[in-house]
Amino acid sequence: MKTSHSLILIFALCLPLVAGRAAGADDNWRNLSPREKDRVQRNYQRWQNLPPRDKEHLREEWNRWQNLPQDQRERLKQRFDDQRRDRRRD
Amino acid sequence: MTERSRELESACKDYEEDLVLHYYGECGDADRKRIVGHLTDCTRCRHFVDDLQRLLPQMGKTEEMPQVFWDNYYRETIAKLDAQDERKPWWRSCLVFTHGWMVPAFGTVGIIVLIVGLLFGRGNLSIFNDRSPVKIPQEVLVDSNQLEFFKSMDLLESLDRLEQQDGTKGELNNTHTERVSFDRQVT
Repeated sequence: MKTSHSLILIFALCLPLVAGRAAGADDNWRNLSPREKDRVQRNYQRWQNLPPRDKEHLREEWNRWQNLPQDQRERLKQRFDDQRRDRRRD
Repeated sequence: MTERSRELESACKDYEEDLVLHYYGECGDADRKRIVGHLTDCTRCRHFVDDLQRLLPQMGKTEEMPQVFWDNYYRETIAKLDAQDERKPWWRSCLVFTHGWMVPAFGTVGIIVLIVGLLFGRGNLSIFNDRSPVKIPQEVLVDSNQLEFFKSMDLLESLDRLEQQDGTKGELNNTHTERVSFDRQVT
């Protein structure tokens, strides 16, 4: 009886730690807006169907994008958003 | 009052314990002779032994209570139990069948419910709402870099064109143009 109580106590103490870690790991995803989540899901699905060559290209583009200066990245992003908005309007 | 103070008179310190043993007849012959000799000389110790002889038998005596007392006692006890039953809240009757093992079990379940509630409540139940048809692996969800990659994938596919329009990329990389045009996939 004493052993089972001790096990329950240990389990109860460890559970918040495990659950806390799991919740913390999910924060990146939960902090996204619904639109961003939708985009990530759509792109992930598309990514899975891409041929390896295109995947490699996108990885290269990603590395290049990350090495661009901050102001240039913002300018390009702004241009991309504007064009997408215009396309939607058309 | 003088009688009462005499009752409280104590014996000589060296003889107090021996006098008690002597009273119960639990000391040896030598001690008994020594104590008897002392008692003939010491008035205080004699009074002490007298007190023992007078008070100790009374302490062991139990008072006989009349039958009426026990009848009343029984009736009062039953009445108190009835009154306690009436005061008991209705929900206590639901817990009649709770055994000893159920208390820690319910405690554990309660803790689990509390933790789950805190975890899901923190994100306004977003975990339930975020169920999507596309199953994204956990390693992607927890990696902010990968999430950012998939978030920016549309832009990456148009990066060449955007740079051209921006005028920041003077000449096109031929290897890129030969590849599949990702712009077509941008919705």
